[in-house]
Amino acid sequence: MTERGDTAVAQGPGAAGSASDPRIAELMARAAATELPTARMCRDLAVAHERAGDAAGAVRWALALTDTDADLPAWSAVAGVLRRCVARTAPLGRTAQVAVLGSSTTSQFTALLPLAAARAGVAIETYECGYGQYRQEILDPDSGLYRFDPEVVVLAVHAGDALLPTLADDPDAAVAGEVLRWTSLWDTLRERCGARIIQHAFALPGESTLGHLTLRTAGARATLLARVNAELGRAAGDGVALVDCDRLAAEVGRRSWFDPRYWHRAKQAVSLAHVPLLARHTAAVLGAQLGASRKCLVLDLDNTLWGGVLGEEGLAGIALGDGAVGEAFAAFQEYALALRERGVVLAVCSKNNDADAREAFERHPGMRLRLDDIAMFSASWDDKPTQLRRIAAALGLGLDALVFVDDNPAEREAVRQLVPEVDVIALPADPHGYVRALAAYPFFETTAVTAEDAARTEAYRARAQLAAAEAAASSLEEFHRGLDMTATVVPLDELTLPRVAQLIGKTNQFNLTGRRRGAEEIARLAADPATTVLCVRLADRFADHGLVAVVIAVADGGALAVDTWLMSCRVIGRTLEDEVAGLLMAEARRRGLARVIGEYWPSPKNALVAGLYERLGYQRLDGPDDPSAPDVTRWARAVDEPYRPPGLMRVVSTSAPARPTATVIAQPRPRDRRMEEVPR
Amino acid sequence: MVQDRLQQIFREIFADDDLLVTDAMTAADVPGWDSLAHINLIYAVEREFSIQIADDRLASFATVGDMREHIEELSGVH
Repeated sequence: MTERGDTAVAQGPGAAGSASDPRIAELMARAAATELPTARMCRDLAVAHERAGDAAGAVRWALALTDTDADLPAWSAVAGVLRRCVARTAPLGRTAQVAVLGSSTTSQFTALLPLAAARAGVAIETYECGYGQYRQEILDPDSGLYRFDPEVVVLAVHAGDALLPTLADDPDAAVAGEVLRWTSLWDTLRERCGARIIQHAFALPGESTLGHLTLRTAGARATLLARVNAELGRAAGDGVALVDCDRLAAEVGRRSWFDPRYWHRAKQAVSLAHVPLLARHTAAVLGAQLGASRKCLVLDLDNTLWGGVLGEEGLAGIALGDGAVGEAFAAFQEYALALRERGVVLAVCSKNNDADAREAFERHPGMRLRLDDIAMFSASWDDKPTQLRRIAAALGLGLDALVFVDDNPAEREAVRQLVPEVDVIALPADPHGYVRALAAYPFFETTAVTAEDAARTEAYRARAQLAAAEAAASSLEEFHRGLDMTATVVPLDELTLPRVAQLIGKTNQFNLTGRRRGAEEIARLAADPATTVLCVRLADRFADHGLVAVVIAVADGGALAVDTWLMSCRVIGRTLEDEVAGLLMAEARRRGLARVIGEYWPSPKNALVAGLYERLGYQRLDGPDDPSAPDVTRWARAVDEPYRPPGLMRVVSTSAPARPTATVIAQPRPRDRRMEEVPR
Repeated sequence: MVQDRLQQIFREIFADDDLLVTDAMTAADVPGWDSLAHINLIYAVEREFSIQIADDRLASFATVGDMREHIEELSGVH
């Protein structure tokens, strides 16, 4: 979110000089006097920093504006600031070419999208199709759209684009026909440029000629539109995401969402007042598609999960469960619990005695959250920035994966100042408003809900317990041996494919090439006999980590070329990569190939694996092949050179299709019929 | 005063804090004043002064002065 105050500016990159600018000093003083700077303050500070030549400060305030209730003119102004300044600041973790296709005036939306996307962690370049040209551009293989070569296509369409009658004689046929019209456009797009697709689902109109009879009329246009939305959602699968515009329209009021004056005047399908909201939510979905969403919700305890201060009022004195206030806190806990069930990792960060805080979870009858739901429980008297760093480290997450919720403005401010990577949600003074404040935060968006999502908190909690066990073991090797780890190679099939696609979509740190492929593309690649896809699960005595490593390699000439190699950050540092390297060598040998060849594509987040191939005994090959990617290094290893992995885990293979949550560790020890030791 | 609030809107839309708005000004005098900026400008003016400019008047503004006079007429602010 935002950072403020003189210290924050002095720390900011490229801030030299701007702190002494009198205009900036005056604006900063005003902003510091309030916890949440207004839209106007953010806009003025962005402009003032740009004028003072402080690009980083300008971008920071431009992004801060997107978290306020700023209206279109302010968004437009700072979108311009971002456009001019972004090249002079540190690059964002992700970049993408994004095409916006629509039938109405999408210029304002397209102009704001880079700002909204930057807030979601993705630097985008945009292409906008000619007015009303979305179908032509998709269908014409020589269109500007395909020359732009987008990674993501936003279909910014609206209810007026749906070819549905006011009243259909055959509702089923009308719905099926409309759904087919859109899915065939998706298919054409994906065939021709492999882009991910984000479609604005239809907002239902505010008026209906049938009145309340609409709900009883299967052929009514509003009824058909709602069905088309649902059918599109079902058809979307991997690589297509929908923005639920009807929910956004309902939130602001359907009559406000659509303004007939600006529709007739300038073909604005969404009222200009709400284009920023639409850009923000489209960007959240875009961020999720590109793996930039936030993963962990960090919760304060006193006056956040319950009313009152536990250390003062005691277990019997806190408000939770009973009475209006107690119900408000219980409702907030239930919302957090629902987030955990859809894959958001929960952590606790509280200034409390650890034993007292845990006792509340174990004994208070009003608690909805249990200790089991919390992946990392941090209750101590250390300041919150320190605790947050500890939580991130224990969970193996970046600080930019955390979202912090606290009722105390001073704590929130300390976090904004000292760990600005963490997003901070400002709770209102009244606990009845907590759920809405949290629900309005859009960056927990994900692409799919998988079995692994629900189990994620457990996996992360096991990881935090491990950190403690690691401290106790005298050597790392001893520690790893004590874990009783088993790596299981499982086949790529319809059960594992969604998880493989999810890993490929969102893994940033241990990812050698950063190639993002959707499920369909993976399945297509895997069908080629020249392709090997290695999917590896890892379990230890603390937890089953699920499917955590993926390698895609293609036999090419005399070598096995590694196309994709990535591993979930939950299991980094467990020597699994060394075992996977052994599997790769074995696979090359099995295919009668002489070498394994790999590439390292540097990104802002994958420095972790910059030295991987060298450490595994690969030789660097001369020169980049691709002049457009001069930073890429290429590596090769002959299969007849001996390779000895550390052997700190058992490596087995299962020929039977893996069940999504098969608990490998619970099965009888090796030599099970379905499992065989993989030769090293 | 309409002139001051109008100037603030122009500065916001065109992201230029030095912009001085005069009655004689036309779209040709302001860099970036294209059809997109124009619709944003009309939207911002309607919102700021809580007015609705009629469609037939939209095309008739030759200068900023014309627009200012019409805003004063509709809003009763001078």
